[in-house]
Amino acid sequence: MITSEKSWQNVLERIKTWARINSPWVIHFNSGSCNGCDIEILATVTPRYDLERFGVKLQGSPRHADILLCTGPVTRQARERLLRVYEQMPEPKFVVAVGSCALSGGAFHDCYNTMGGVDQVLPVDAYIPGCPPRPEAIIDGVVKLLASLQKSKA
Amino acid sequence: MSTTEETLMLAREIAGAWDWATEVVQPEENRLDVYLKNPDDLVAIVTGLRVKRLGYLAAITGLDLGTEAGELEVLYHFCAGAAVITLRVRLNRQETAVASLSELIPSAEPYERELREMYGVTINGLVAPNYLYLPDDWPTGVYPMRRDFDPQSLLAGDGARTVTE
Amino acid sequence: MQIDQQRERFTIPIGPQHPALKEPGHFRFTVDGEIVTDATVRLGYAHRGLEKLAEKQNWVQNIYLFERVCGICSHIHSTAYCLGVERLAGVAAPPRAQAIRTLVGELERIHSHLLWLGVSAHEAGFDTLFMFSWRDRETIMDLLEAFTGNRVNYSLNVLGGVKVDMTDELAKTVLAGLDFLEERTHHYLEVVSKDTSFLQRTRGVGVMTRHQAEVLGVVGPTARASGVTRDIRHEAPYAAYVDFPVRVVVDDRGDLEARFVVRMKELLESYRLVREILANLPDGDLTVRMPRRIKAGETVSRVEAPRGELLYFLKSNGTDTPERVHARTPTICNMASVVRLAVGHQLADVPLILAGIDPCFSCNDR
Repeated sequence: MITSEKSWQNVLERIKTWARINSPWVIHFNSGSCNGCDIEILATVTPRYDLERFGVKLQGSPRHADILLCTGPVTRQARERLLRVYEQMPEPKFVVAVGSCALSGGAFHDCYNTMGGVDQVLPVDAYIPGCPPRPEAIIDGVVKLLASLQKSKA
Repeated sequence: MSTTEETLMLAREIAGAWDWATEVVQPEENRLDVYLKNPDDLVAIVTGLRVKRLGYLAAITGLDLGTEAGELEVLYHFCAGAAVITLRVRLNRQETAVASLSELIPSAEPYERELREMYGVTINGLVAPNYLYLPDDWPTGVYPMRRDFDPQSLLAGDGARTVTE
Repeated sequence: MQIDQQRERFTIPIGPQHPALKEPGHFRFTVDGEIVTDATVRLGYAHRGLEKLAEKQNWVQNIYLFERVCGICSHIHSTAYCLGVERLAGVAAPPRAQAIRTLVGELERIHSHLLWLGVSAHEAGFDTLFMFSWRDRETIMDLLEAFTGNRVNYSLNVLGGVKVDMTDELAKTVLAGLDFLEERTHHYLEVVSKDTSFLQRTRGVGVMTRHQAEVLGVVGPTARASGVTRDIRHEAPYAAYVDFPVRVVVDDRGDLEARFVVRMKELLESYRLVREILANLPDGDLTVRMPRRIKAGETVSRVEAPRGELLYFLKSNGTDTPERVHARTPTICNMASVVRLAVGHQLADVPLILAGIDPCFSCNDR
């Protein structure tokens, strides 16, 4: 959800603001994607983009997570497990759909084994489009989610 | 003569050595298609290829020739260098039965499992009972890669579960 | 007094959601103490049903569909598909286009192997190597982005050729990037073959003999690390590999260390190949005219993906929609070796044995 007017500096200021207030822990689940989005999510924790300096940690257990980053068009086999992972997360929890497949099924919306996007299965709070979205776009999407939560809290 | 040509010549020899093949066609420079007269000859001819150490089993493809033709076709691709030798077996749609190669060639097991669940081909001697790719809740008797598969039939009574907050 | 100790067997499920697994797959390991006695795997979590969808879309739309079988090796999938369709149509892409396809194929191999190095190191608990190799991987991602326009899913291929041309300036940037990466690769080669604590995780672990590799039917670097000299770029050269031959990297030890060493040496070979292609890029057009309806016929297109042999079977019925597209991806050949090799090893060695074959579940399931 990056608009062309927003410069990197502007985004950086906003990141610093929310980083002082909040530090969410993130869990990643691949519900049948081609891996493009997953490697970009993994790239966000690597030294160039380094999400961890803002306090965002890529976690392993759903019970420790605040945000679920879900990729993939949700195949029939993965649907049950996705629901179980979601149910294991404690409140307050948020779901971010990463990539075109998670938004609407992407290139696979017409396939017989896909549900057609994460919002067919779970309530989604933020959508990050792209095939795959760049790591900067993923960071921006997570930032926007948290900024909107800050606003709604206040 | 290049190694590809030598390989194809050897394959022709094996295909012509017994009574098993009906037709041997060379559709491309590096490919040979061997149409088998009888599905029961499959294990015998594959043993022949193995004895001569000709190639390795690269893939097993299923083809649906259509509901009017009433037949399915199974292709066994053996590759040796640049040469590809394809054994082709025709099966009746309703009475598909072919012997498993997994005792002779262990790496054939996942390919045969895929063939079985996607096309509904009965493979005699294949042990693994579970689905390889299809989900656990897939209705039995529905074969997705067949021409007469209707994806709408899956949707009845299977809506996405909503999570109440 | 005798205490009768009952041996209890536990089944440990791993996946489809697991910190070590970036892709969904379900493994069940039956353990006796720490030793694995039995292993099974459940695949199909990423099965989307692409082959069926390919029969509904036209030849051009399918390029973009098959690119997305796997994000890590997307270019090689679309190359295999395009080469097959061009062969069916009786058309050959111009030499410059083939050279550019080969060039990006090798750049993709570089990015894939560096990605694998990082992920395997992460599975071994060696996060420092993960961070360093992914930082260096950003160099190749920048090069790919500068050339093709995207970091992942480059969409470089069109039926009949490629979309983007290589310029001299870009060639200089690529060469500079490769010089940096080559220096780093020599360092990684040293790490995987000399670092004592890493070697304790990899040397002698997951040994697969040459005979086992041939019987199980493994492909790619996994097979080459067990002494099986099988590389489609060498045996059945496609695209520009006829003009730019590859030296096959083989190691006969068959353990995890061999798999690491083979992939690092393949990186060095890829750098050499890219430099050679850039120095001798043929002139000419980028695309050739392709008919909308492809002639009826069948073909088999085989290429060497970063993980092994990729085979596409294409059948046309003379219309603008394919009759059948069958993609046999490399990971399905290698998966049987994981369950076989895991038995007898400690449970802690299993993630690295799995990572050693470079599994790509999305390629596997399609």
